[in-house]
Amino acid sequence: MRRTAAALLGLTLWIAALGVMTIFVQRRLEVSSDLRLFLPSPTTREQRLLLEDFGEGPASRVLVVALDGATPEELADVSRALVAALRGGEKFRFVTNGEVSLDSLPDELLPYRFLLSRTFDDQPLNAEFLEAQLVARTRDLASPAGLILEPWLPRDPTLELPKLLESWQPLREPRREFDVWFDGAGARALLVAETRAPAFDPAGQRAAIEELERMFGALDARGSIHMTVSGAGKFSDLMETRTRAETTRLGGAATIGMIILLLLAYRRIGSVILTLLPLASAGLAGLAAVSALFGSVHGITLAFGFTLIGVAQDYPIHLLSHRRPDAEPDAVARALWPTLATGIASTCISYLTFLFSGVLGLAQLACFTVIGLAVAGLTTRYLLPSLTDKAGSDHGNSLLLQRLWDSVARLPHPGWAGGVLVVLCVGIVALAPQPLWENALGGLTPVPADLLAQDQELRAQLGTADLRYMLAVTADDEETALESLEKLDAPLRELVQRGAIRGYDHAARYVPAAATQRIRQAKLPDAQALRAMLETAQARSPFRAGVFEPFLEDVTRARELAPLTVEQIGDTALGTEIELLLRRSSGAVTALVTLSGVDDAGALQQLALGAGPAVTLLDLKAASESLVVRQRTRILWMLGAASILLVGVVAFALRSGRRVARVIAPMALTTLVIVAVLQAAGISLTLFHLISLILAAGLGLDYALFFEHAADDPAEQRRTLHATLVSVLSTLLVFVLLATSSLPVLRAIGTPVAIGVVSNFVLALLLTRPAPAVTRVTNSAQPK
Amino acid sequence: MNLLTRGIAVSLILLCSAARSAGPDVDALIPRLARLPPATIAFTEARFSALLREPVIVAGEVSYLGPGSFERRVTLPYRETTAIHGESVRIEREGEASRTFGLKRAPELGGLLSGFAALLSGDAAAVAREFSVASTGDEKSWALELTPLTRNDRRRLRQILVSGAESETRCFAVVSEQGSASVMLLGSAAEQPIAGDATLDALLRRCRVE
Repeated sequence: MRRTAAALLGLTLWIAALGVMTIFVQRRLEVSSDLRLFLPSPTTREQRLLLEDFGEGPASRVLVVALDGATPEELADVSRALVAALRGGEKFRFVTNGEVSLDSLPDELLPYRFLLSRTFDDQPLNAEFLEAQLVARTRDLASPAGLILEPWLPRDPTLELPKLLESWQPLREPRREFDVWFDGAGARALLVAETRAPAFDPAGQRAAIEELERMFGALDARGSIHMTVSGAGKFSDLMETRTRAETTRLGGAATIGMIILLLLAYRRIGSVILTLLPLASAGLAGLAAVSALFGSVHGITLAFGFTLIGVAQDYPIHLLSHRRPDAEPDAVARALWPTLATGIASTCISYLTFLFSGVLGLAQLACFTVIGLAVAGLTTRYLLPSLTDKAGSDHGNSLLLQRLWDSVARLPHPGWAGGVLVVLCVGIVALAPQPLWENALGGLTPVPADLLAQDQELRAQLGTADLRYMLAVTADDEETALESLEKLDAPLRELVQRGAIRGYDHAARYVPAAATQRIRQAKLPDAQALRAMLETAQARSPFRAGVFEPFLEDVTRARELAPLTVEQIGDTALGTEIELLLRRSSGAVTALVTLSGVDDAGALQQLALGAGPAVTLLDLKAASESLVVRQRTRILWMLGAASILLVGVVAFALRSGRRVARVIAPMALTTLVIVAVLQAAGISLTLFHLISLILAAGLGLDYALFFEHAADDPAEQRRTLHATLVSVLSTLLVFVLLATSSLPVLRAIGTPVAIGVVSNFVLALLLTRPAPAVTRVTNSAQPK
Repeated sequence: MNLLTRGIAVSLILLCSAARSAGPDVDALIPRLARLPPATIAFTEARFSALLREPVIVAGEVSYLGPGSFERRVTLPYRETTAIHGESVRIEREGEASRTFGLKRAPELGGLLSGFAALLSGDAAAVAREFSVASTGDEKSWALELTPLTRNDRRRLRQILVSGAESETRCFAVVSEQGSASVMLLGSAAEQPIAGDATLDALLRRCRVE
């Protein structure tokens, strides 16, 4: 580092500018973890539904809670108390443990029971029916149920409300112990809680989970009961915490390792600081650009972005390694600039294609990387030299490097080896048993398999809806949708009886179509007729005259009511359920029939085909896979375009077909090698691997460009070897650390890049290095 | 709950029949009520309610099958079986779908249940935790009056009356809200039919007198 006043001032200004940028970024930046930012916009209805569900749909907000470690009775008590506590809190919008209470329908909606219940569809409300009901109620009173029913009888002698509540229960109910849901073995009490925060708002999810844990802690004073929480929200919180912890740990280790490496290479603390400045500038400038243009940054953009601009670390390394006592740093930088600029420009131009990918996350990534790399390159060229001292020694005179280079130079130029490598790699890819690509959407947010299995097990115990298949009914308005659902009910019940599905649920089970409600309304007797019937029935029963006045009032009111709408029921406990099943979007209504225990998807398909064009069977697994495939297809097209641009830029800079081939060959071959190694290891490729391939290609391009640049000057060759060795070792250090991570995401980035660095370096030495004493132009030993 | 009280009453009777001497001393009486299941006894019961002109009268038998496990079978004037296991109650009546519900749905029954469990195990201290207990009469004709200690339980369950003579519990009555009550006559007391126009007071008196 230069110790002049001007240099120190420059350094101070630079650091101050970085500080200001940090403050700006911290103010502006909002890190989002909505994965949809990284998915292409949906084109089919299935994909749209899938994405809604994925991010903020009620299904993704549902946490399953299991309690174990005590007697069923104690667990049921805690379950009940927990439900009461959570309902009193702020973070959950709906909590249930299956317990039904007669007051779950608000008082003013009670008269509607005569319009909602099926009882009078086949059985008229007449004197015979009433008489039979009163006999049954007399017996109820004399039974142990009498104490519970007695207060309700004057208002509801036909027990319409209990019948209705029963009909709203899931068709396949979980086991109940002490009135609350349990698993099949009766060992774990189960609850379902829906958070107010969407699933991919980790902060909101964490707050909700913390509230849940706090309330549970207050209830379980003895600490013997164990609580398990599962669901998308829990996973997103868990994965973020784990990723952050592991990134911090690995990042710390990488930083320390890198500093040691740079100290060994340059023997000066000042040099180490100088190498870090362009990288820090690149990261901050990239962040500032993204937050200014996009507002919020996806967590994955950040992770990928910092990975991709890691290549900028190499720029100052080249400058420092090429310093020599007889040249001003600025002259060194100027000499390096064409090569450096070619690398930066070609990488940046390739990333620009991402801007047009139609995927917001990738556009952010492109913006971040292009700005970052450009800033790193420009600061290395124009700011860094003025802060840098002339070197005390020249790496070009290093005896060690000299020997190293000579032994490398004696290596053969195996032009044929490239061809063999291509054949070998293609063979491995073709023969690998697993598919080349990972199509499951889950591959993007890998949750540990044991947690996923536990989640599926809990949901199966609860009998919650199948996540793969559902029927969708589209209609212009709610009434039409409800009518279509009612028509589907009979065939669906038949499928349950045939065992094709185990259960189903739809909005018309809760709110019948207005037309149906009106038919029921028309069947109800008027006040006078009902009073006469009731008096006859009552006279033949031990019931006192006049006790059923509240019942008479309710029936009379039910005759006058406007049919119940979905909106009216929105604030009750049923509201959430219905919101999940019936969605309005831009003038159309989509009603869903959720299914559980689907055994025969073909029968469902047949039912959908027979039900007209408004009904479709959705296969969300197929939809998510098609989404991933579409996303990948796009990215691959982008990469194709990027490769052509990259070759174009390199060709423009080098102006020779042979030179271009020498530079491009190592990175092209390396890409193939990485894919082959991953395939041989049984790994299918995801988005993460694709991005890592681009990074590896960028590194390879730089190595090759510098080797090519240094082709005929022995001292320059040794300096380039020094720079490249430092670059390779520092990059390798970071990505090998990532490859050892327990998190699949970090592994997916670390492994390909680590393989790529080694392969690129070796191939660049073998293929790009010209044979000694032979000029570039006449050299014919290069592969095509 | 009625069922439960009845079931426990049966056990009480059996317990008392085992006891040679009963007296108004509660702490001495209750421990003698402890009894091993299974045991079955006939009953006749009248259910009074403010909703009813006249009581509903049923007859059958009840069994105590073990801690927290009872069965009540009505045979006249219709057939109905109620099984209580732990906190789950299942009622099956001829010509109707069976019904299941949990005792916890009516929280006031919780205290009652634990009180009865305590009575059956002859645990006077446990009974005293849930109820204030008063005794009247003498060894020849004794009566216990159990009043729930908490106001919440008293809301629906005002009192439980258990009465017997020497070794035999003859009567078990649950008095709930105003006008609501059930009186169960047990064993030999159940042999005499209850008149259709019987009043609550008259029946309660019949419980007391030998």
